Amino acid sequence: MSGAGTSALGRPDRLWPMVLASLAAHAAVFSLTGLARPRPALEPGQQPIQARLVRLGEPRPKELLPRKEAPPPPAAEAPAPAPIEAAPAPSPRAVAVPSEQPSPRAAAKPGPAVKPGTPGGARLASVLSDMKQELQAGRADGAADGDASEAGEGDEYLALVVRQLRQGYRLPSTIGDRERLFLTGTLVLHIEADGRVSRYVLTRRSGNPAFDEALERAVRETRLPPPPPPLRDLYRRTGLEVLFKI
Amino acid sequence: MRRLALLLALAAPLAAAAARPTVVVDAPDFRPLPLAVPAFLAEGDGRPAEEAAAVLRADLALCGLFELLDPRGFLADAAEGLAAPSIKFGRWATVGADGLVKARVRRDGAGLAADLRLHEVRAGREVLQRSLTAPDPRALAHRMADELVRHYTGEPGVFRTHLVAVRRSKEARELVLFDADGKNPRVLLSEKALLLMPSWHPDGDRILVTSYRGGRPELWVYRLSDRSFRRLPLGHVAMGGAFSPDGTRLAFTAADGADTDVWVAGANGTGARRLTTTSALDLSPAWSPDGKRLAFVSDRAGTPQLFVMNADGTEQRRLTFQGNYNQTPQWSPRGDLIAFTARDERKVFDVFVVSPETGKIQRITQDQGRTNEEPTWAPSGRLLAFTSDRSGVPQLVISDPRGERQAPATAAAELATPAWGPFPRE
Repeated sequence: MSGAGTSALGRPDRLWPMVLASLAAHAAVFSLTGLARPRPALEPGQQPIQARLVRLGEPRPKELLPRKEAPPPPAAEAPAPAPIEAAPAPSPRAVAVPSEQPSPRAAAKPGPAVKPGTPGGARLASVLSDMKQELQAGRADGAADGDASEAGEGDEYLALVVRQLRQGYRLPSTIGDRERLFLTGTLVLHIEADGRVSRYVLTRRSGNPAFDEALERAVRETRLPPPPPPLRDLYRRTGLEVLFKI
Repeated sequence: MRRLALLLALAAPLAAAAARPTVVVDAPDFRPLPLAVPAFLAEGDGRPAEEAAAVLRADLALCGLFELLDPRGFLADAAEGLAAPSIKFGRWATVGADGLVKARVRRDGAGLAADLRLHEVRAGREVLQRSLTAPDPRALAHRMADELVRHYTGEPGVFRTHLVAVRRSKEARELVLFDADGKNPRVLLSEKALLLMPSWHPDGDRILVTSYRGGRPELWVYRLSDRSFRRLPLGHVAMGGAFSPDGTRLAFTAADGADTDVWVAGANGTGARRLTTTSALDLSPAWSPDGKRLAFVSDRAGTPQLFVMNADGTEQRRLTFQGNYNQTPQWSPRGDLIAFTARDERKVFDVFVVSPETGKIQRITQDQGRTNEEPTWAPSGRLLAFTSDRSGVPQLVISDPRGERQAPATAAAELATPAWGPFPRE
């Protein structure tokens, strides 16, 4: 048996019909799979998901002028994930991400100390409390750690991912306004079960090195939340496409 | 077989991409670029070089694009040269600089000359070299700042432009000219009568002012070139004028009894024509940068709100629906925003911007004194100036269009109705 197989592989005139037959069979399988499977969650032309977590609270009356959004509370420090070996890159441009701690610059900074016992401290606490109540416009069905006053479309996990990535999305102010109109870049992130980005691929560069460098830095410095269990395989194997724009 | 394997390997990611979730991350945090401006080298007297470096640092910090590193932390030799081969870039990288500005200043006749260099620290190379002249250290520094802004953004800098504002005192009302950084005040006019709402002609020479010199509010034109001050022959009680972007027309508010309306006329005051005809108060016209539209204030809906119309008065539509006291619209030179003053539910006045297309309002000032008002745009559209009583007495504050970086530019001096002038004509 092994001798017959070796003989067939060694003769191109017998190999090519088999290759063509195999190609045809695979093409048929791909076509059938494509027809039989449900429509993908997102089509290329479909509007990408933009999700925001709505803050728990009362909506601000629409006839009033807007207040500035308060900065979101600092996120709790997550424990360091166990190191996971980076998967083999599918293309030469894939970059393995070291499992490093978030940048110190992204860590929460302690605020100025207020002495509650002092009259000044009490007044400041009272003013801050009043301001917080006024600033916390949200919705009755919002999330306790929401950071937006209005809802957006999307699921909760992606909302958290967007929020985390946005925190690390820093660009130099010197990028001109004309460039800001069209600068975009796309990365595919492969996310492990603990939220670590094991590798990413810059699938579409902007043409501006400072912008592209900032995108990669944002991905490297951001710690994402763990995906929901049913979607872990999707985010690890297929990945999440992230379109950065201004 | 290798081809087959290649085909299958290519097909797999394509199939996966079709089902890959996608998210959009926008609203980046724009951070100022870390810039080092060490002491300038000087030939002869070192004071002009010292003053020019100080003014340049202040300009660059004010424009919001750069984070000026503290010279006290610099590690490089103070006598380091201008050219890249003489610079130890590692020392500048250590202090966190992305850009390094070097200059040598010398006397040039009655004025000053400078050799300006900009280096990219990470790349270790010179990226800009300019030979500049100016009559004094401040003017020289402003020229340098404009060159650096143009290099980084591709847009002209605003540091050779000027602001005017009305300064109030018990004795007089003064029309005061400032450098773009709020410094170097010069009194153009001092009047016992009321003086209000200056507005620039795009030629940078004429300033339209509402003056009560004739016993009633009328529009007058002050010329910087000959210091003349002449009344426009409008024949109306008129106020709050604004020249069109091409300088050929002016829009203004004219009163007829208790009714006020928006009018337009030729730049010399002839051929006046009324654009609004309601019995409500219509006032404070502001041109769009293309000169095709006007924003204005009207209380026709019950409370003062911003409206927009074509420059011929057609297609008048309400723009703001939030707040109940919105006024002083100023259209951004970029056309995408209108800045205005509004009184909020706490009865304090703050500065806002609204999109003329969507009506979406964003707040610029909040909890920064009781009155932040009368915004005016830099000709680049990258900066706003307004008056603020955050220090107790109204002073000029310069801000980015999001209100994230705001800096008082003048001493507190009872300033009102600022107007930012156009780019200088080369």
